[in-house]
Amino acid sequence: MALQFTLNGKTVEFSGEARTTLADCLRHHLGQTGTHVGCEHGVCGACTVIVDGEAVRSCLMLAVQAEGSHVTTVEGLSEGEDLSPLQAAFRKHHALQCGFCTPGILTTAHALLTHEPDADEERIRHVLSGNICRCTGYLPIIEAILDARAAYADGRRGKPA
Amino acid sequence: MIAQGHPRSIGKHVPRREDPYLLRGEGRFLDDIAEPKDTLFLSFAMSPHAHARILAIRTDAASALPGVVAVYTAEDMARFVKPIRTVIEIQGYRASSRMVLAQDEVRFVGEHVAVVVAEDPYIAQDAAELIEVDYEPLPAAVRLEEADSESAPLVHEDIPRNVMFEAAFASPDFQAAFESAEMIVSETFRTGRVAGVPLEPRGCLALLDHVADSLLFYTSTQIPHLARTALSEILDFPEPRIRVVTPEVGGGFGTKAQFYTEEVVTAALALNLRRPIKWVQDRREELLTSIHARDHIYRLEAAIDGEGRIKALRTDLTTNAGAYSSYPFGCTLEATGGARMIVGPYDIRNYAFHTRAIATHTCPSGAYRGVAQPSCFMAIEGLMDRIGRKLGIDPATVRQRNLIRSEQLPYTNVLGVRYDTGSYEECLRRALERVDYWNFRKRQAEARDDDEVLRGIGICCFTEVAGAGSGGWRVRGLTKVPGFDSASIKVEPTGKVTLLVSQAAAGQGHLTTFAQVLADYLGVKVEDVFVSEGDTATAPYGTNTFASRGAVAAGGAVIKAAQSLRQKIARIAAFLLDVDVERVELTESKAIDKENPEKSVDFRQVAQIAYSMTSVALPQGESFGLEVVEMYDPPLATWPNAVHAVVVAVDRRTAKVSIEKYVVVHDSGRLINPMIVDGQIHGGIVQGIGEALMEQIVYDEDGQMLNANLLDYLMPMALDVPQIDISHIETPSIDALGGFKGVGEGGVIGAVPAVTNAVADALARTGANINRLPLRPSYLLREMRRRQLAVDGDRK
Amino acid sequence: MKLSRLEYARPASVAEAIELLQGTEGAKIIAGGQSLMPVLAFRLAAPPLLVDIGRLEDLRGTEITPVGTRLGARVRWCEIERDAALRRAQPLLAAMTDHVAHYQVRNRGTVGGSLAHADPAAEMPGVAVACDAIMHVAGPAGIRDVKSEDFFEGPLQTVLAEDELLVGLTLPPWPPGRRWAFEEFALRRGDFALAGVAVHYGRDAEGRAHGVRVGAIGAGETPLRLHAVEAELEGRKIGEALISSAAKLAAASVDPMNDLHADAEYRRALVATLFERVMLRAEHRQEEGENGPAVHP
Repeated sequence: MALQFTLNGKTVEFSGEARTTLADCLRHHLGQTGTHVGCEHGVCGACTVIVDGEAVRSCLMLAVQAEGSHVTTVEGLSEGEDLSPLQAAFRKHHALQCGFCTPGILTTAHALLTHEPDADEERIRHVLSGNICRCTGYLPIIEAILDARAAYADGRRGKPA
Repeated sequence: MIAQGHPRSIGKHVPRREDPYLLRGEGRFLDDIAEPKDTLFLSFAMSPHAHARILAIRTDAASALPGVVAVYTAEDMARFVKPIRTVIEIQGYRASSRMVLAQDEVRFVGEHVAVVVAEDPYIAQDAAELIEVDYEPLPAAVRLEEADSESAPLVHEDIPRNVMFEAAFASPDFQAAFESAEMIVSETFRTGRVAGVPLEPRGCLALLDHVADSLLFYTSTQIPHLARTALSEILDFPEPRIRVVTPEVGGGFGTKAQFYTEEVVTAALALNLRRPIKWVQDRREELLTSIHARDHIYRLEAAIDGEGRIKALRTDLTTNAGAYSSYPFGCTLEATGGARMIVGPYDIRNYAFHTRAIATHTCPSGAYRGVAQPSCFMAIEGLMDRIGRKLGIDPATVRQRNLIRSEQLPYTNVLGVRYDTGSYEECLRRALERVDYWNFRKRQAEARDDDEVLRGIGICCFTEVAGAGSGGWRVRGLTKVPGFDSASIKVEPTGKVTLLVSQAAAGQGHLTTFAQVLADYLGVKVEDVFVSEGDTATAPYGTNTFASRGAVAAGGAVIKAAQSLRQKIARIAAFLLDVDVERVELTESKAIDKENPEKSVDFRQVAQIAYSMTSVALPQGESFGLEVVEMYDPPLATWPNAVHAVVVAVDRRTAKVSIEKYVVVHDSGRLINPMIVDGQIHGGIVQGIGEALMEQIVYDEDGQMLNANLLDYLMPMALDVPQIDISHIETPSIDALGGFKGVGEGGVIGAVPAVTNAVADALARTGANINRLPLRPSYLLREMRRRQLAVDGDRK
Repeated sequence: MKLSRLEYARPASVAEAIELLQGTEGAKIIAGGQSLMPVLAFRLAAPPLLVDIGRLEDLRGTEITPVGTRLGARVRWCEIERDAALRRAQPLLAAMTDHVAHYQVRNRGTVGGSLAHADPAAEMPGVAVACDAIMHVAGPAGIRDVKSEDFFEGPLQTVLAEDELLVGLTLPPWPPGRRWAFEEFALRRGDFALAGVAVHYGRDAEGRAHGVRVGAIGAGETPLRLHAVEAELEGRKIGEALISSAAKLAAASVDPMNDLHADAEYRRALVATLFERVMLRAEHRQEEGENGPAVHP
């Protein structure tokens, strides 16, 4: 099985077995290991990536199902060494400890705020309820996402001011 | 010691150094490490039976699958691997050994019976499915209550009645005090079996360095040094030729403070096949085989006076050890912990315990965050509430009457354990104030019998055993747990500082906090310090990271090393400044003349001399370099304390529990980085809320785990978490260097009892007696209805 | 937890999909994959071929007409969430599917996938049964329509043959002024419900209920219509006493299961409680009653 899709703005090729999940394709075939795998059955959310603008679980997708799509992973959220405003808010609020779940939470929050820059706490909690964090107790994550909303207002899509 | 009036790092919200790379997705966790092209992957065949004899294993079909390199069974493995034997030097302990693959008999569902080595992880799993094992199923002892009987099937032939460990204690005047008391309040508490469930499952990667004939072993562990020693002994391979490296570790919580069979298998096969071997655990295996915890029964009896003061306390504790003693803490950790820690912050002068660890045909138990403390405080704190109910005294008042008073500190408890400092009364006073306790009680008294929502308040006062030194582990027979930790400081020729610590963090922010400690104690700018840990080739030996020991043990080692090195820096600086050494003060990576602060030399200038890289020669009598290693052995333990107070609402019809208010007043001594401390407390509390309300590993009567997946092992999500009001009291330890007391476990320890008591308090009005975990709605509703039926029955 | 070896095909039409199903025994349909992929990850199923209908345009879209609302099998939860017209046209559908799973799953999970998976605690099968939906099933001989109550045969079992696929369903039009409510109870939001109850009915000038529908999920082997309860309410004025007696009947007419999350006794009690609560909510709903739950952008 051979196919192409766009990963963080660049065309990539995958050739491998049909049963390869998108998560394994990203991590083990394309070397993008920022996307983490915590359960492989669609519960923990660590593997969340953005496919054609929408946050999805990459363990619940075959790589072949992403053919022709635009995929964004945590590696595509910032440029170079600079943290995006969302990432910077996570640091400021101590919204990560071990950091294993963080890529999936960042991609989820990025997709959410891109579509709904004025999401309130209730909405953020609902959306985050598809991601398990075993370290932080979630509260700082919620605060960080609330804090990052300004960077998504007026169509800024999470870019620095 | 620390320069006065200069910037201090300790006590500040310093943002973490770990964050930027983790946030960019550049953290390298075990499975993120790019393995060499010729790496082989493992998949284990697991027992589907809780207890069975292995009659035959056929591996032909698996071996024949293209891409499979080899298949090993216990028989093959025994040629080059010794069994794991957990040595614990304590009376009443019966050791069991465990082969890394089951030999002849399987003792829990998920135990490994064979391992496939293949070129690809997908193929490895395909092949593992093709391994055929003939089993003769045998009767299993699954539940603790069943295994603890004369007629139960034996888990190990040589362990009679499945009692792996048994110990008892009674203080000299216990019997007299117990018998002469006015009344007895007793209760049985049953806690629920849970697991740490770090979001990153375990895994390891073994690489051979053919030139040095050595093993480079990456493993997702909290105990790299202990793992290295264990590997060397079990594989009979020289320890100096093993280098253990912990990459980023995606959560530990104690689950990764054990040394596991798969680590041995991975390393052994790399040495045997002369190829790189990678094993990455999946979630199902993680839930089936990583240690479980907290499957306990407490039977408490308190002899009290009419004012609610405990005159004597008796604990009978039974813990579920699982099928084997885990390594290195074994089956005794929970059994000794629960029995010893339960007296907590209370002035209990007469105490007796009987404690046992029972073998069952289930996954081995081990050290999960808090160890036995969330359950033993659930028991004693539950008993405090019952004393109040029995006497008609408010439970907060009962606690106030029993707490160790400030003027009694330092206090030696009934077991001979010293609490150096603490703030038991003050924490309770402040927690009651912040949760608006007495007003809540007033409103509660006005509630009506037919209210749809029942409200209750729960308190937990506790001490936490933390930062234990060598004495603390030896007292509990854990002689393979050293107790000390180490720090190595090197001021490099450029004046920047490398700090190597003997620990291995799993999210606790060590790279930041130890830099803060060193900054203050060496007088160096925090940004000039580079911290590294988790690599046995560079870091000094130590006990590693668990049991809330990071700040105390490694923090103390950093202080000790800094104190030792600053002398030398000051001497060289004094020589350069041409003043007496007493006039030199180190601050901000500079040595200044205290009497003439404009006069200074920086660390670089000092280092250039120390490393002989300048025209000025090193003063006579000084040795080259600016480097020191120090080991620090903390006291028997440090004793953080706290009070949690929780308000819950319970829907009378669905028994859904909502947490409406959560207050913590915490005292873990001197705080290094309050932001990180709060993070530890938050995270622990949410784990404790999970343990109290929803988490539970469920085995059926045949020993099948019914929820080896995250759909059915329920942990709190973002919608399940209340706002948490944390305040701190800082009472420094006077026994531990730096005054730190440790903070890794307090959150979970306080949360489980406080939430349980709040729910029990809410339901007390219905007559329900809540004494077991988890507090699932079906259990709560059943208890309310049982009581209602009894009342209706009486009316008839 | 790697999937078993399998082949993959992406047909260009429903007809081609059916040919593929006919050509390989044990072949399975995949669209969003949100129910199927976990099953494959645990190797509880190992289909030799996955037929991906995820790009078939015919199966997309929603059509609201005077004769009903037709949903293509590929309509996703996130689309229902954002479609204000659909939410007005089918408020119960909107309210119930708001409880399905989590954000990321809602972005890929489909109406058809949930119906074909047939979990008795899932919301969408509950919607279909509570609303008398007609299921449209494509097979070698063309399309056949199946009543929702006949579609579900047991836990994870439907009438779909090996060579058939669900292409969509039609919900009857929602009459204006209809009283309705739905409540479910799950241990955590987004989990499968321990039980859920939906009601909807019309009310005549005298205040009597007519056309009563009572549905329950998580209360039996399939999503249920509680016919006895409907009959009890039909043509009568709704009041506290009636609700209370009907609630007992509701509890008696379900046969829920014991599992590790709740015992049958709890679920039975829950059905009664939820029934009482939805009846009260339905009764107190504003007369216009047509506005579905709020729309997320």
